[in-house]
Amino acid sequence: MKMSKTLLFAASAAVLLNASPALAADDADLNALRAEIQAMRNAYEGKIDQLEKKVQTLETKQQNTSDKVSNIQPSSGADLTVPPATSKRRVNDNSFNPEIGVILQGKYKSFSERDGDIAGFAIGEEAERGEEGVGIGETELNFSANIDDKFRGSTTIALHEHHGETEVEIEEAYVETLSLPYGLHAKAGRFFSELGYLNSHHSHADDFADRPLTNRAFLNGNYGDDGVQISVIMPTEIYSEVGGGIYRGNDFPGGGAEGSNIGSWTAYGRVGGDIGDNTSWRLGLSTLQVNSAERSANEDTVTFNGDSGLYIADARLVYAPTGNNAEKELTLQAEYFHRDEDGTYEDTGAGTGAIDYNDGQSGWYAQSVYKFHPQWRVGARYSQLYAGDVPTGLVGSALDDTGHNPWAAAAMVDWTNSEFSRARIQFNREELAEGQKDNQIILQYVMSLGAHGAHAY
Amino acid sequence: MKKYIFMVLGLGALTSLPSSAQAKLNVFACEPEWEALAKEIGGDLVDVKSATTAYQDVHHLRAKPSLLAAMRKADIVFCSGASLESGWLPILIKKAGSQDVQPETIGWVMASDYVEKLEIMLEGVDRSQGHIHPEGNPHVHLDPRNIEAIADVFVERLYMLDQENLKTYDANYKAFKSSWKEKLKEWHEKAAPLKGSKVVVYHNAWAYLFNWLEIDVVTTLEPKPGLPPTASHLEKVLQQIQGQNVKAILVAPYENKDAAEWLASKSGIKIIDLPFTVGGSEGASTLEGLFDETLNALLGAH
Repeated sequence: MKMSKTLLFAASAAVLLNASPALAADDADLNALRAEIQAMRNAYEGKIDQLEKKVQTLETKQQNTSDKVSNIQPSSGADLTVPPATSKRRVNDNSFNPEIGVILQGKYKSFSERDGDIAGFAIGEEAERGEEGVGIGETELNFSANIDDKFRGSTTIALHEHHGETEVEIEEAYVETLSLPYGLHAKAGRFFSELGYLNSHHSHADDFADRPLTNRAFLNGNYGDDGVQISVIMPTEIYSEVGGGIYRGNDFPGGGAEGSNIGSWTAYGRVGGDIGDNTSWRLGLSTLQVNSAERSANEDTVTFNGDSGLYIADARLVYAPTGNNAEKELTLQAEYFHRDEDGTYEDTGAGTGAIDYNDGQSGWYAQSVYKFHPQWRVGARYSQLYAGDVPTGLVGSALDDTGHNPWAAAAMVDWTNSEFSRARIQFNREELAEGQKDNQIILQYVMSLGAHGAHAY
Repeated sequence: MKKYIFMVLGLGALTSLPSSAQAKLNVFACEPEWEALAKEIGGDLVDVKSATTAYQDVHHLRAKPSLLAAMRKADIVFCSGASLESGWLPILIKKAGSQDVQPETIGWVMASDYVEKLEIMLEGVDRSQGHIHPEGNPHVHLDPRNIEAIADVFVERLYMLDQENLKTYDANYKAFKSSWKEKLKEWHEKAAPLKGSKVVVYHNAWAYLFNWLEIDVVTTLEPKPGLPPTASHLEKVLQQIQGQNVKAILVAPYENKDAAEWLASKSGIKIIDLPFTVGGSEGASTLEGLFDETLNALLGAH
């Protein structure tokens, strides 16, 4: 009782506070204002009616929108103001439903070392360095379209070869909202989660022919799982966004998801903005938590059972003189990863049995890409991993880094003929395990045909 | 108990915030010309910021974080359309646009939808022709008659979204329109000697200006739209312009001048820097200034 009274008081206080500017004006002012509003209403009533009708026309627009919009095109008067006459037909080349796009990639790779294992880490298939020689890499088929006024759908099907067999993978298949209020955005289905910077990007948009060691070891290239993600862009002066998702927990670093449990969840927060016209930046923190994963790695020879929590900090800065990215641009990008794992590891290759493991691993990469000509870019990247302390039972297994911290350095030059085609040459030096000094050459082309959506920042 | 009072007071304060923020309409303009037009008609009642400047090639912008923040607040999206902004605007709309600024809503103003577009390509369109816009040339702002037509559309949207201030918008619009009509006459007379002149341009971004002034473009420095000039193409251009009486090589503020300078040194034809849009030169700080400066620069070469 006492509480409700207080509430009532407080509520009325709030109302009073809100209304106070109006109370401050005296009656004469108010009457004058009212009269003015009335006069204005009378003068414009007809016009408002007319406009309201137009609002309705606009709102009920369906397929023949362009025709309807042209109804509110003003009729021009004098000769000077007659717009030049050309064909009135409107053609939209992207109005196919759905938009269809294909990404074609080709690679030639050459390695100086026979093995490419990463000391101290049990990795997934996508984290391997791949096969030497000429190959078509990954072919992506993308279909996307607005489903109706509220939803958009998109699917990306990837075809790639692994040990001589063609594998078909549903990389992404999701629906997302188009116009939720308050800066909200929701996605459901299978998609690359917002985690750090690189994870939500398709590899064809990457600045290098391969991913940094961190994204290979901790996320198997990309973490893309079945679930729901919700994000909100805050109404702040600088850009700020928070979001998160819940997932089945089937994709690496998850695995073996069963039953109706939520296998993993993510959360992220980011801020960003401009420094003058030349520079833009973005900073982010994110996490991926996997509960009771049963993950197999290193070609099914290593199994992890337990909880895995990954934390990522990411930063990106883009500089272009006068902000004109078309001519010259410098990007700096870095991410730091830390993973805590609590469970058991078993390496059947080394015959260890299931050994208790409770430790952390970490890693980072930093890269810079400089566009010095509208069609030419150069870039350099360094990435490094730190495995956890190895329990006695796992000495000599894949989890044993033998005191070596894996690192990789990359340098690349690429040529972009148009926004639809790019060719690249890249040199890597990878020292991923003790005594391994791998010099790699990668030649690559990435081309896109059909519809090709805009890329995110 | 104190806690509850603070909570409820806080809630009251929060709910009162949007009403004070609503006092101004937020306009997300893609280009400086639409920012300028929105300011002419909206005056102090609109908060407007252009996503790009005259020194940036609008085709190649990134969907920057700051633009997401700006789109989040937008009541009106005011752009050229015709896929000029297709590299970044769709992402901003999808991620941050409210239901009021989706395609075909009142808050959606694509200028090129309301004028007669040039260079519409109905068939035979293929990407081997470069970065072309089959739905027509999107750089519609450089014909001042188009500016007038788009002002008509924009003011109607302001009426619809903010009926309270209808009177002010109407007054601003009428003032703009009458001075623009005067200016149109003035420009038309002033530009008469330019009729039939021949020029070379970097990118075909001037179609509407030349259609209005009846200037002929002999060729472009880009071999194909969106592809930077090559040595072999420039040699061809040099051959092509022999004996054509080309008056000038025109360059926009965001375009690389190297190719134009090479051609100028070989041919003796002078380069003219045109502002291209509002903010592209000191004098082009308003829409009127933009056309004044453009005509003066062109007449200077004549």
